Amino acid sequence: MLRFIIKRLLITIPTILVVITITWGLIRLAPGNFYTGNKKLPPAIEQNIREKYGLDKPWYEQYRRTMWGILRHFDFGTSLSYPGQSVNAIIARSIPISATVGLLAYLLALIVGIAIGASAAMKPNSRWDYAAMGFAMLGISIPNFVLGPILVLVFSLTLYWLPPSRWEGFPSRNIILPVITLAAIYTAYIARLTRAGLLEVLRSDYIRTARAKGLSERQVLFRHALRGGLMPVVSYTGPALAFLLTGTVVVERIFILPGLGNYFLQASLNRDEPLIIGIVAFIAIVLLLMNLLVDIAYGYLDPRIRY
Amino acid sequence: MLTFGPRRLRSKVNQVNINPLRKHIIIALLIAACALVSISCNLASGNEEFFGKTTPPEGNILRYVNGPEPESFDPAISSGQAEARIYMALFEGLVEYDPKSLDAIPAIAERWDTNNDSSEFVFHLRHNARWSNGDPINAHDFIYSLRRALSPEVQSRTANLAYYIKNAQAFNSKSVFVRDPQSGKFLLEQDLAEEPPTTPVSLSQKVLGANESEYTLAEGNSVTPDTPFHQYMHSPARLVLPGSEKARQKMLDANPKLKAAVAGNELVKVTGEDVGIEAVDDYTVRISLAQPAPYFTGLAAYQLFRLVPRKVIEQYGDKWTDPANIVTCGPFKMKSWKPYSEVVVERDPMYWDAANVKLDEIRFYVSTDHPTTMNLYKVGAADAVVNHSVPHAWVDVIRPKKDFMDAAEAAITYLLINVTLPPMNDLRVRRAFNMAIDKETYSRSKRTTKPLSAFTPTGIFVGYPQPQGDRFNPAEARRLLGEAGYPVTQKPDGTYICEKFPADEVKLMFATHSSNKALCEFMQAQWKQNLGITVMLNNLEAKTYMASRGKLEYKGFALGIWGADYMDPATFLNLFLTPSGDNGSGWWDKKYADLLEEANHTADKQNRYELLAKAEKYMLDAQPVIPLETPSVNWVKKPYVKGLYPNPSSLFAWKFVYIERDPSKWDYRTPSLAE
Repeated sequence: MLRFIIKRLLITIPTILVVITITWGLIRLAPGNFYTGNKKLPPAIEQNIREKYGLDKPWYEQYRRTMWGILRHFDFGTSLSYPGQSVNAIIARSIPISATVGLLAYLLALIVGIAIGASAAMKPNSRWDYAAMGFAMLGISIPNFVLGPILVLVFSLTLYWLPPSRWEGFPSRNIILPVITLAAIYTAYIARLTRAGLLEVLRSDYIRTARAKGLSERQVLFRHALRGGLMPVVSYTGPALAFLLTGTVVVERIFILPGLGNYFLQASLNRDEPLIIGIVAFIAIVLLLMNLLVDIAYGYLDPRIRY
Repeated sequence: MLTFGPRRLRSKVNQVNINPLRKHIIIALLIAACALVSISCNLASGNEEFFGKTTPPEGNILRYVNGPEPESFDPAISSGQAEARIYMALFEGLVEYDPKSLDAIPAIAERWDTNNDSSEFVFHLRHNARWSNGDPINAHDFIYSLRRALSPEVQSRTANLAYYIKNAQAFNSKSVFVRDPQSGKFLLEQDLAEEPPTTPVSLSQKVLGANESEYTLAEGNSVTPDTPFHQYMHSPARLVLPGSEKARQKMLDANPKLKAAVAGNELVKVTGEDVGIEAVDDYTVRISLAQPAPYFTGLAAYQLFRLVPRKVIEQYGDKWTDPANIVTCGPFKMKSWKPYSEVVVERDPMYWDAANVKLDEIRFYVSTDHPTTMNLYKVGAADAVVNHSVPHAWVDVIRPKKDFMDAAEAAITYLLINVTLPPMNDLRVRRAFNMAIDKETYSRSKRTTKPLSAFTPTGIFVGYPQPQGDRFNPAEARRLLGEAGYPVTQKPDGTYICEKFPADEVKLMFATHSSNKALCEFMQAQWKQNLGITVMLNNLEAKTYMASRGKLEYKGFALGIWGADYMDPATFLNLFLTPSGDNGSGWWDKKYADLLEEANHTADKQNRYELLAKAEKYMLDAQPVIPLETPSVNWVKKPYVKGLYPNPSSLFAWKFVYIERDPSKWDYRTPSLAE
């Protein structure tokens, strides 16, 4: 087990470096520069900026400088569009916000999703099952950029119950709508995966054995069925958690949350190379770690899987 | 092993099927959702006087949605409007923008003198101006601030707005003078000029004569004393060469006469001390321009010219703008900053006019999403919002409300034409495409904008005799196209067709934005309807668009939007002063440039306006652009916010803004800019 984890962590390092290199190349291919604005800069001013950021140097020199900073100090440099702000500081301050919203959405999705999915699986093809799965389908079909504004329209603009946007820290009432918007699609997926997983497990021999022993349905469900039935949910929620933690562009933009997703979008539009590379590298690391956690979790949930 | 998770997931998802009954449930739910939305839409629009709540905030504060996250709190760096508004709270310049007209009003300078051809300015500073840490402000602070803003190391994006000042461009672009090592004399521009200059030398450049009176001073004002620096400014312009070895060599190789003259001489770097700004004494600043610029005092309120604290910058370097370090000189000082969320400024008791600053606090909120911005406004979480916030589709609902700001913006929307490529290199074709667009109908359908046939916005510059270009005339347009060799024929069903026109060679390029798209689709439909020509649309991401336009890498048309840098027609007309920069069309004409130069040397305002209008007409006749509309500022403010006017650049002198709690004194219409 330990060997497996160490091996996986070692594979992570070259993966990240490849991701950074590809990102670096793609930014270079995109037309325009961080200083390209609505008004064109006079050549002399453009030259001053290019010299300051070493953009007048050959590409291998620029690549070496970028990689050296990252490898040596894990320092992604200074943002180009927000002069004087370091990329590491921007990531460090936006991550807690994305992670708070993401984690809350994740917990909400897990609890509600598994509850709905499990109850639907217990009575397959009943009215409740259809209703629950109908709702789940709705959750999957409605994108969050539609759901968010609808929730705002109803709960903020019409009923005046909740603030429509802005980040006021945690806990605050501002957090409710973004969390629900973000959680909706994950809740729906988890509900469907739970139901499907449970239905398969409930038909297996060891559940029949448990029932034959005279255990109550509750005991069958919680002690035996859920463990195996949640396998698909686990493999889904690992990467899902990674995405939730690192911010989602749409929800952060609709609700003006100063999280990583918002910065990521703005950095791409601004061609802010150090910031883009920093955020991409960070997301890649979290994603790889979450995948690792998922594989470890398999080992606990399914005794047949051994590393 | 790495892909283990996802593969497993996929197999599970595939097992889920949708049965017919479930489909019915989904449809029912969707209908329910739609019904819910339409009900709430009805509730939302209503028939109220104002859009949303009108309860004033509890404290004496203003919550303003300011647009994007500010790039930097250093007024020398950013060019954005959002930053400019924050700078106007935190920093002051010699002058400030008038809240209505945007003309210069006294700030750190209490009065100023202008010489007779607007090429030299003397600003008299007030003695009681202080930094937020209590230190006094004097003329040397201004000299430091502007030299810093122009220094290449600061890499300001707006330094070119100070290029009117003598030697400012040379200093900012790291250029060099040429000096004879023996005599110590500098080579002069006039020694090497190929031909005598066509425009008269401005007063600021002439050698000071004993009898020539430069200033017409108001009674009681005394002449500012002469100094050695003043003499230097009044001497003929020195020869300036590029600072980089490569560029200089290229220039010298191209001009043997110049090469011979420079050979054997030493090169001297242009420094900040050469720039035409001088502290005559502790409270007097003299600015010498290289050319007359009657609009310079208005320009002097621009962010680049605002004062920054020398001590703090020298102590903290790049980190001087951190809220913990920053020292400011405006009516407000920094209270707190939450990145990507809000900037909070509070009244500065050290400010020279603190007694007249009405608000205790301003909160600048970040929001780039228009509906989100409007939502904050509607629920009463924001008191006023940034210009252009009202989404296109909402105008119908918002426009009748009494808190809608309906006023023209100092900006123009136009189509650039790449005149270097056929078929658009033919003037007749360009005119035909212009005449085939019904701009009146477009503006009527958009409701807030005004149709435009000139290259300056309509209704902004009082007294400017704005010329008019060709009007909508589809018949004449078809005739012109025929004359150019592309006959337009009418089909039996009444529609037009122009078979010979190379429609592949012409596209309409624009930067991605929902309102840009609607506009371009209208133009496309007009050309199709009136000329029978289908022009393809080419939608590009903003930076890609700018890069492509800058290099003239487009065929046919590109959508341009230009906002004024200062309140004068020249800020628009100067776009075509040079073939490079924001010209973007490939059109350049020496006669046009000379007309602008002549206008700038004219002291009388009305005569100058007439010359500018003549130049504008000359340009419109050559049709390197198709003017489309004067946009409107298009924002909302609560009726209890007073002293905030929908001026043409959406820049606000915050110290005049206050919260009115007595509803009888509220604004029940767009506040007038004239009164």
